[in-house]
This record gives sequence, C-alpha cells and structure tokens, in this order.
Amino acid sequence: MATDGSKSVVSSKQRQFDALVRGLSGDLYRYAYWLCGEDALAHDLVQETFLRAWRSLDSLRDTASAKAWLITILRREHARLYERKTPQFADVDDVDIADERETHTPESVGEDGLIRAAMQRLDAKYREPLLMQVLGGFSCEEIARELNITPAAVMTQVFRARQKLKGMLAGDVKEAQLS
Amino acid sequence: MNCLEFRRELNIHPQSNDADFVAHARACPRCAQAQADALAFEATLGRALAIPPPSNLAESILLAQATQQRRERRRWASGAGWLTLAAAAVLAVGVGWRVTRAQPLGDAAIAHMLGAEAPALAMTAPIAAGDVRKAFAKRGVDLAQVPADISYVQCCPVGKFKSVHMVMPRATGPVTVMYLVDDKGGARADFAHAGWIGRSVPMAHGTLVMIGHDASQFAQIEQEWQSTLQASTHI
Repeated sequence: MATDGSKSVVSSKQRQFDALVRGLSGDLYRYAYWLCGEDALAHDLVQETFLRAWRSLDSLRDTASAKAWLITILRREHARLYERKTPQFADVDDVDIADERETHTPESVGEDGLIRAAMQRLDAKYREPLLMQVLGGFSCEEIARELNITPAAVMTQVFRARQKLKGMLAGDVKEAQLS
Repeated sequence: MNCLEFRRELNIHPQSNDADFVAHARACPRCAQAQADALAFEATLGRALAIPPPSNLAESILLAQATQQRRERRRWASGAGWLTLAAAAVLAVGVGWRVTRAQPLGDAAIAHMLGAEAPALAMTAPIAAGDVRKAFAKRGVDLAQVPADISYVQCCPVGKFKSVHMVMPRATGPVTVMYLVDDKGGARADFAHAGWIGRSVPMAHGTLVMIGHDASQFAQIEQEWQSTLQASTHI
C-alpha cells in the first residue's frame, strides 16, 4: 500500500510538472529571450529554471502563482549567469522572424522588427518592468515585489519605458524614410 | 481626472478599466484618440515581443528532467548504504527527545534554506515593512510591528509546517529566520547541519527557527521577534 501511495504522489508531481512545462515554457522562453537577448541562452535558462522548479515543486502551493514563481527562479538563474558573463544582444538583422512570415504581412514584420530593435536598445531598468507587464501580465504591485522596488517606481519605469520606446520608434521611422 | 492625469495613466496602464479613466476617455475626444493610438501600439508591442519558442522546447525540458532524475536515483542508491550507517550512528548517540525532535526540523529548515531560495541569502537591501506584514497576514498573524533590517520574505512550507521565511542580514552574515506558524509541539533546541548552526524557539502559537554561521546573533533576533509576536494578533 505504501508503495502505491508513494507511486501516486510521484506521478501526480510529475503530472503537475508536465503541465507547467507544457503550459508555461513558451512564456518563460519569451521572457528569457528579452532578458538575455540570445535564443540558445534563453533555451538554457528556461531549461535550468524548470529543473530547479522540479526540485522545489513541493513549495508551490498556489497554481495561480506558478508563472510568477517560475519567473522568480528564472531571474535568479539569469542573475547567476550575468555574474559570470555579460550577454550580448544579437544584431537586429539576425533576429529570426522566419516562423512568423506565414502569419504576418510584410508591413507588420517590418514594424515588429523596428520594435524589437528598439526594445533591445532600451535600458534593462526600463525593459524588464515593461516585459513583466506586457508579456507576464503582472500588476505594478507584483512587479514591484519581484524587482524589490516600490510600486511607484514601477509605474515611473513603465511610463518612461513606453515614452522612450515610442521616441526611438519615431526616430527609426524618420531614419527609414530618409534612407 | 484631467487630461494630464489621463495621459500619465495611459502610459502606465493602457488597458485600465478604472472608472475615472473610462469616464474621461468618454468625455474628451482628444484623449479618446490618444487611447486608441496607445491600444494599437500595445497590440503591436505584444506581437513584436511574442518571439516564437523553439518547437521542441517542452520536450527537451522534460527529457532533461527525466535524465536528471535517473542520475539522482542512481546516486541515491549508491549512497543509501552509507546513509543507513550514518542514520544508525545518529540513533546510537541517543541524546534524547530534545535533539531527535530538533534535528529533523533543523535539517528540513536548512535544506529548505539551501534550496531554490538560496539566493535570498545574498540579499541585503531592506524590503518594505508592508511586504513582511502581508506574508504574516497570509499565515494568519496580524503583526503589531515589523522588526528592522529584513531583506527577504516569502511564505513557504518547511517540511509539514507552514512558515514565513525571512532573511535578516547582520554584520557577521545573513541569518535566516523562519516562523513556523502551526508548530506548537517543539521545545527550545540548538541544531547543526551542513556547516550551518541553528536554534528553534517556541514562540507565540508557533516556533521561530534561526539559522546562520554566528549563533551570537540569535539572542537579539529572538528578543525582537518575541516582543513582536507577543504583541501581534494570531487569527
């Protein structure tokens, strides 16, 4: 009986882990990509995040907070990595948009490319809270807790992030029109 | 809400449903246009950031996890003989109920501290008192006051107990403080594991566990939490 019980505990943990991986690995990958700027590194970061998550899965009690929990682990992994090396963003021309060509018009691909380039140029201080809001869907209070800053500072940073991004895009469009 | 406040909110929460925000957009055509532009920008931004993940991402993670698990099982099996001997040695010491009860709790607390939240030990910037209050409130404790210099707080399970896990940086190193809200059966005890030393102290309706490298820091922390928890409301 004991064996059956432990077996079912293990399999339910495994099922929970599978569901997390299948449900959230894509979101985590996008977040990791914009954090580190390299697709291979983003893949490694997400994998390491989930391996750590597996080891401490018992501490996850509230499934609604799973994404925030995983992002916390991912940010720590990235910080550890960042201590060892400074990741370089790929040149905007190298950003792979091949998978989207079938679903987006040439105009929108061009617009997306400009936004991606602008995001890469955006200071990490502004980029990260904006990513957490737009990609993660987190509130300013949740972002503040994660980044260990005040909600007012988060509001200022997402405000400035959008302003800077729009400013850069306006400049890029003008440059594109002149060339 | 005036136009300036609306534009500020628009850059912070473009999809805001706040009643004042919505009312202003209805009343001011220029701000309504700005909102339409902002929402269009948000849609473009969201699409641009949605980098497609590698098609085999989930499978490669699950494969890595299965491989790691198998490796760990093999390592565990080879170490099991030594563990049995070590466990027998611990039992042979037979130092009484106090130690045998404190040691598993201490082991669990130290293992938890060195798990996924280990990076918290390096945090030194004080967090907001409100965050500490919120964590205790989740555990049914309405704190009367918040001790100073807490750099990390999280509600976590430690073994079978619900805890509030904190880090209090001190000059001689960080002290991890865990308040196990529903552990009423313990006695005061010291423990050591994996190069760390700790102390568990029955306090209010639970147990306070302190872990660090310098036990001389424990007395002051214990005193701070004793007076805090005595004055607090336990729901």
